[in-house]
Amino acid sequence: MASPPTLDAIPGPLADGDAAPGPDVIIATRDLWKIYPMGSEQVAALRGVNIAIRRNEYVAIMGPSGSGKSTLMNVIGCLDTPTRGQYWLNQHLVSQLDDDELAHIRNHEIGFVFQTFNLLARATAQHNVELPLVYAGASAPERTQRALEALRKVDLYDRRLHRPNELSGGQRQRVAIARALINNPSILLADEPTGNLDSTTSNEIMQLLDRLWQQGNTILLVTHEADIAESAHRVIHIRDGQVARDEPTRRGRQAQGG
Amino acid sequence: MALREAIAVAFDTLWSHKLRSFLTLLGIIISIWTLVAVVALVQGVNGYVAVKIARLGSNVISIEQYSLQEMTDQKLFRAAQLRNRPLSLREFRFLRAHDRLAAQVAATSSRTIGTLLKAGAHSMTDVRVTGATSNVIDLASFDVLAGRFLSSTDDRHDASVAFIGADVARQLFPGIDPIGQTLTVDGHNCLVIGQASPQGNVFGQSQDSFVDIPLGLYRALYGAQDSLSVQVQAPSAALLPALAGQTRMLMRNIRHLRYQDADNFGIIGADSLMSLWHQLTGIIASVMVGVSFVFLVVGGIVIMNIMLAAVTERTREVGIRKALGARRRDILSQFLVESAVLSSVGGVLGILLAYAFTRVAAALTPLPFTLPWLAVAAAFAISTAVGLFFGIYPAQKAARLEPIAALRAET
Ligand SMILES: Nc1ncnc2c1ncn2[C@@H]1O[C@H](COP(=O)(O)OP(=O)(O)OP(=O)(O)O)[C@@H](O)[C@H]1O
Ligand SMILES: [Mg+2]
Repeated sequence: MASPPTLDAIPGPLADGDAAPGPDVIIATRDLWKIYPMGSEQVAALRGVNIAIRRNEYVAIMGPSGSGKSTLMNVIGCLDTPTRGQYWLNQHLVSQLDDDELAHIRNHEIGFVFQTFNLLARATAQHNVELPLVYAGASAPERTQRALEALRKVDLYDRRLHRPNELSGGQRQRVAIARALINNPSILLADEPTGNLDSTTSNEIMQLLDRLWQQGNTILLVTHEADIAESAHRVIHIRDGQVARDEPTRRGRQAQGG
Repeated sequence: MALREAIAVAFDTLWSHKLRSFLTLLGIIISIWTLVAVVALVQGVNGYVAVKIARLGSNVISIEQYSLQEMTDQKLFRAAQLRNRPLSLREFRFLRAHDRLAAQVAATSSRTIGTLLKAGAHSMTDVRVTGATSNVIDLASFDVLAGRFLSSTDDRHDASVAFIGADVARQLFPGIDPIGQTLTVDGHNCLVIGQASPQGNVFGQSQDSFVDIPLGLYRALYGAQDSLSVQVQAPSAALLPALAGQTRMLMRNIRHLRYQDADNFGIIGADSLMSLWHQLTGIIASVMVGVSFVFLVVGGIVIMNIMLAAVTERTREVGIRKALGARRRDILSQFLVESAVLSSVGGVLGILLAYAFTRVAAALTPLPFTLPWLAVAAAFAISTAVGLFFGIYPAQKAARLEPIAALRAET
């Protein structure tokens, strides 16, 4: 495993404006700002974030509450647009993609596990998990089959007909994870996926993420817990909307060394 | 496809808000109901009238003082009042003598308002009294139930005899055989010689409240100034146009009309009656269609309103769907399908109500009411189209939501 690429490590073009980063860099941001107008005041949630993440990296994002982690994840997940700065996904400048292309990316490329689950309240667990397949144009039998398989993986097969309000917090979290993974996205963005889980389930989830990483996926994980962050190979520390530190974990250094 | 998802969501929403959906759909329901019911009504009455008019006498045209157009158009009528003259007995005789194409030439004259019939203690007012030539029976729609109709001998002698309708028989001679009895027609004693079989009602008007007497007697009783109505029968339908042309020329001849003069009489055939009827029902139908159109627009606006509310309520749902890969057109079609489903359910309810209405109407009236399938199909299509049209704006609003803004929505 190569050392985490910093902005300087990214060869040439990224430094001078609009040119795309190298082919192995799947996510790259340059001077990313997100400013929320709050009446007369302005809240800057991101203040010039520069990160570069290679294909098949396993990265944890840490930082105090309100530091801008979720905001950054939303921008990377193509759910939000930055106020300023550039974001390349797969060497495409995201600001130049049209609505349908973004929808396609959200559907096929990125699996998003939200901090607040964001399940459809009126739909069953199974239907929630199926949703990305609906928009991918999969047939009904295929959808059912894959959704049930995904629910089995997160150990919720017997809860498949429950609605979110009939599930525990941890169970909802697992439905959200099953949904994020259903379309085999190459990038998984997880905003505190273990925040509501006991240590056993949390471990299972972390093993699941590990397997995904081994299969070649790129994983970005927001967490408050240091031991969770240790599963990743690299930790980006965010403070006040800026990258404070960007360093490999022990596991990352081991992988690098060995 | 995502369409199935949209339809499923639409019915789910409809069902989980049953009362709200029903109230929303009231406008559409009433609109479609009136639309289908009016078409059924007009069709039913048309069918009935067509049968009635056909029975009025086959291949018969009638020469009258005024044409149908003149009678139904104020302006034409004022002009005709100055120009047209009543048909006289002399003109009737002239037509009878010279209308060679005609199988029969008969004459009638009648009045209804103010007439008084009496028999013993019983009396009737406003009965249609008709002075008729005896050959009217060959052209008319009624059948003789008992006794006989007027004869040519009665014609020649202006005999004091009467042929009565079923209502008159029932009311003046309850429980007894009217044949051979005497009744007075506005004071004149007549011998009842025959009775017609019942014909029923048209628009609630009894067709059985009449008495026929010889034409000469009628003119002696009421004076000779009433216009005659001359009925001419062609031997076959094919000869009817030729007969109408010849009769018109004969009338113009005897009235010494010059080439440039307009007719000062009218010729009425079953076809002109039918077209007048269609004109009348056309007016009724277009007024009702206009009314139902107003309901339709109101219903559409209500649907738009409820869909706007639905979009606001479900902003978060839209955000989730977008986050998972729904394109603008997926969201657009979801809400369009929803409002189309909503309004077409209203359409179906309206059609069901109209169906119930035609069943009730068919049971209560002699009119042959059926559900007009073309109108049903059109009504369904219209209600769906209204939903689609008024759903466009709310659906666009939903489709344009930014994913993150929608996800952050409170609801
Ligand atoms: N829609 C918004 N309008 C205004 N300010 C916002 C909005 N969303 C986020 N912020 C602000 O941006 C900052 C970063 O928020 P963000 O949700 O990214 O924090 P976070 O790092 O994810 O925190 P936590 O660990 O508590 O989830 C916060 O100060 C927050 O108040
Ligand atoms: Mg957060």
